[in-house]
Amino acid sequence: MRLLQANEVYDAIRTPTNFTREETEPPRFTVGQEVVVRNLNPRGHTRLPRYAKGRVGVIERHHGCFVFPDTMAHGKGPHPQHLYNVRFTLTELFGDHDGNAADTVYIDMWESYLDPVTS
Amino acid sequence: MNGIHDVGGEHGFGAVTTEANEPVFHGQWERDVFSVIGIYFAAGLCPLDEFRHSIEVMDPAEYLSTPYYVHWLRAAENLAFWNGLFTPEELQARIEEIEAHEKRESA
Amino acid sequence: MDQITRSDGYTQPPPYVALRIKAIQSLLVEKGLVAQDALDEVVDIYENRIGPKDGAAVIARAWVEPEFKARLLEDGIGTLAELGMTGFEGAHVLFVENTDQVHNVVVCTLCSCYPWAVLGLPPAWYKAPQYRSRVVLEPRKVLAEFGTTVPSEKEIRVWDSTAEIRYIVIPQRPSGTEGLSVDQLAELVNRDSMIGTRFATPYEGAAA
Repeated sequence: MRLLQANEVYDAIRTPTNFTREETEPPRFTVGQEVVVRNLNPRGHTRLPRYAKGRVGVIERHHGCFVFPDTMAHGKGPHPQHLYNVRFTLTELFGDHDGNAADTVYIDMWESYLDPVTS
Repeated sequence: MNGIHDVGGEHGFGAVTTEANEPVFHGQWERDVFSVIGIYFAAGLCPLDEFRHSIEVMDPAEYLSTPYYVHWLRAAENLAFWNGLFTPEELQARIEEIEAHEKRESA
Repeated sequence: MDQITRSDGYTQPPPYVALRIKAIQSLLVEKGLVAQDALDEVVDIYENRIGPKDGAAVIARAWVEPEFKARLLEDGIGTLAELGMTGFEGAHVLFVENTDQVHNVVVCTLCSCYPWAVLGLPPAWYKAPQYRSRVVLEPRKVLAEFGTTVPSEKEIRVWDSTAEIRYIVIPQRPSGTEGLSVDQLAELVNRDSMIGTRFATPYEGAAA
């Protein structure tokens, strides 16, 4: 860690970290495609929330290629992956809930968290 | 990890409590904790995900029974240990020194 | 030391906290890793210089300049960069717009991700398990606890910030505000309206 002087702090916090990387592989999924969230249970850090595991959603947006938290957190490098925003209905996530059937949750997910829905 | 931090969709936490005209910090201890993590971030000590993980490994009972900046206190010490800034033994010794000093001051 | 008792049962801080953080600061400064005045500076930045007023100015401008709003929605981070509002917890930003058909609300169920660079530090409730657990499960009930009733024909979209994308809500412009300046409009953009748990503040001068 470098020693920061007080007059360097503001510029440092106003300088964004670049979390994106050049794409080396084409994205596996396309906007509008149905995907199912893999049932992953790694012992280390992950950004896959439990409530989405096994649920089916639709790719809403492709954000680009981003460093992978599951390796970044443990000093194992950026291993960049495509990052998507995935749309889920509340009914898909929580079954017969007392909310509104049209309501939705949008979750950002790395490519290795997802599988295609095969019909 | 399937940790205590992963609370989305859980039942039983009760109503959301808001505070009118909430200050940015509620006391000096919050400023002190924030400042250490703030400088870790500004100086680029570690990836943001390592910071997140340093909270996820907290004792689950402490995680749920303490206010937010206690999570950051644990992050401040875990990240220091993991990145070789100081050791758990050094921290314990410093705590005891300050405690003894404060006792003398107030005596 | 200030003591705050919350009605949710949290009494802060636990007894060990003040001493431990003092010891941590003392070790870091003594070892030459951290400068004491840098610690003071980072607190001052987030306590006094960066906050929800910054985001409110952006939203108010979006209300009056359709071209600016279109740019925000298309390229949030590029537009914020022109205003100097990027940086830590704000490297990637997506604005989502409330309409007559859609109400957006933002959460981080896994930790406390929040667009610091535009809104400053988040309120305590945003970081608490009560909000984080429930807003994905029963968003309408949670919004009702904020006094926010979303009509049942409107879709609620909850954005869970699991990556480095920070979401900011563009609330609907209150009625009766046609003649107001951007500065007057910014006064109506409360912090929670940019998270999505409240609407923009109604304009009191509006005709009843």
